[in-house]
Amino acid sequence: MKTHTPTTHLTSLRTQHTVVFDELERYKLLVESIEDYAIFMMDPKGYIQTWNKGAQKNKGYAAHEIIGKHFSKFYTEIDMASKKPERELELAQKFGRVEDEDWRVRKDGSKFWANVVITALYDNGGNLVGFAKVTRDLTDRKKQEDSMRTANLTLKEQQKKLEALNTSKDEFVSLASHQLRTPATAIKNLLAILLEGFSGPLEAAHRELISKAYASNERQLAIVESLLKVAQVDAGKVVLNKTPTDIKTLLYGILEDQSDAINERGQTCKLTMDSSLSDKIVIDENNIRMALENLIDNASKYTPHGGKIILRAGEKDNQIDISIQDTGVGIASKDMDKLFERFSRIPNDMSGGVVGSGLGLYWADKIIGLHGGHIEVDSKVNEGTTFHVLHPRVTPGA
Amino acid sequence: MRKILIVEDEEILRESYQFILSTEAYVVEAASDGKKALELCQKMEFDLILLDLMMPVMNGIEFLEAYEPSEHPRTKIVIISNLSGGDMLAKALQLGAHKNIVKASITPRQLLSTVRYEVEAI
Repeated sequence: MKTHTPTTHLTSLRTQHTVVFDELERYKLLVESIEDYAIFMMDPKGYIQTWNKGAQKNKGYAAHEIIGKHFSKFYTEIDMASKKPERELELAQKFGRVEDEDWRVRKDGSKFWANVVITALYDNGGNLVGFAKVTRDLTDRKKQEDSMRTANLTLKEQQKKLEALNTSKDEFVSLASHQLRTPATAIKNLLAILLEGFSGPLEAAHRELISKAYASNERQLAIVESLLKVAQVDAGKVVLNKTPTDIKTLLYGILEDQSDAINERGQTCKLTMDSSLSDKIVIDENNIRMALENLIDNASKYTPHGGKIILRAGEKDNQIDISIQDTGVGIASKDMDKLFERFSRIPNDMSGGVVGSGLGLYWADKIIGLHGGHIEVDSKVNEGTTFHVLHPRVTPGA
Repeated sequence: MRKILIVEDEEILRESYQFILSTEAYVVEAASDGKKALELCQKMEFDLILLDLMMPVMNGIEFLEAYEPSEHPRTKIVIISNLSGGDMLAKALQLGAHKNIVKASITPRQLLSTVRYEVEAI
């Protein structure tokens, strides 16, 4: 049996004391060595009691310059005037800890953006013995965040400006086109009055000149019309008026309207209808008609004299497929992605003689898109092109 | 003789329509805006009004809103504008306009034949 003598007891106490002392030394070394964080203790009133390397690096004070001073030294004048340091101690005491991100002031008067945590410290009896304050310099992160915020605001402002410019552009095109249409309509009328004999007979030479002026003005009107339509579709102002429409009647009507121009070019056009398309489908007849007329007109313009235009209406994957096939110059694969762009004029053997605004395909594509459909193109140079207008098959009552 | 009123702010167009229609046996009056057109409608009973929509002072819609069709049961109103669709045209048709003619698409002969058709159908 081991006997506890006073010497043994003393030795045991010394050993325990050494263990605790070593433990405390290790924590002191840990805190004092950390350079990235200012870690220090304050008494219950906020007077600084300890100071680590991180605190010196962070705030610029050496230990002997700051121990015993009040921690409010690190706050800005505005914060001090509003009693922020005192409030933070109160909150730390009330909730155990308080965290803040704000400006703090160094010894040299310079400011840095700090993340600060103040933790209340209590002894075993629950008495407040002071506070631990841990401060991290986040100036670099704040600078980055501020830069990003500024860049973001600048981007947003630029985006708003661009959107406003885009709307202005659409409005300008619309207004300019509308304004241009008025004098062009007046010229059309006056020339037509002469050509149609309302002012008496014309000399052949005069008729020829006036006819050329009339034709030129008609082209101008067509371009202005295209510009207006494109401005409307770009501005999202096209409202579709969908009604049940008989495809056969629509296509035959279009062919009849186009037949004069096609015949003048010595071309033939035929229509093949799939019998499964006897139902009416719900479309904006006016706009679809114009889109198809565009495509047929294009097919005819880019097909040489004596060529063929074949119109087919059928079904493909539960979609209406209206295809316009020509035996024309065709489109090179390198030019395909430019086909539906505005003012796109693909150079080929016939394009020199073709009159147009370069807006028709762009507009047709947009209109078909608004219907939920799309246009596909197959083509071989010098053999011909087929445009497929694919439209969802929506029947009345669906 | 049938009486026709042309309501059109663009002077050249107004005068050319007057010229074209006067080659037939019509009495043709003209107004440059909706307000002047209303004043003329108080003085005379027209068989046909050719009404532009975009006009200063009082546009075509404002004219139709102020106009009392019940006071002019024989008068037919035909819009002659450069609109081929849209809200303004739809509203005009709702307010009692009979149909629309697109100015930029019609020749003098076509205008005469349309007017003849509409006036004879009254």
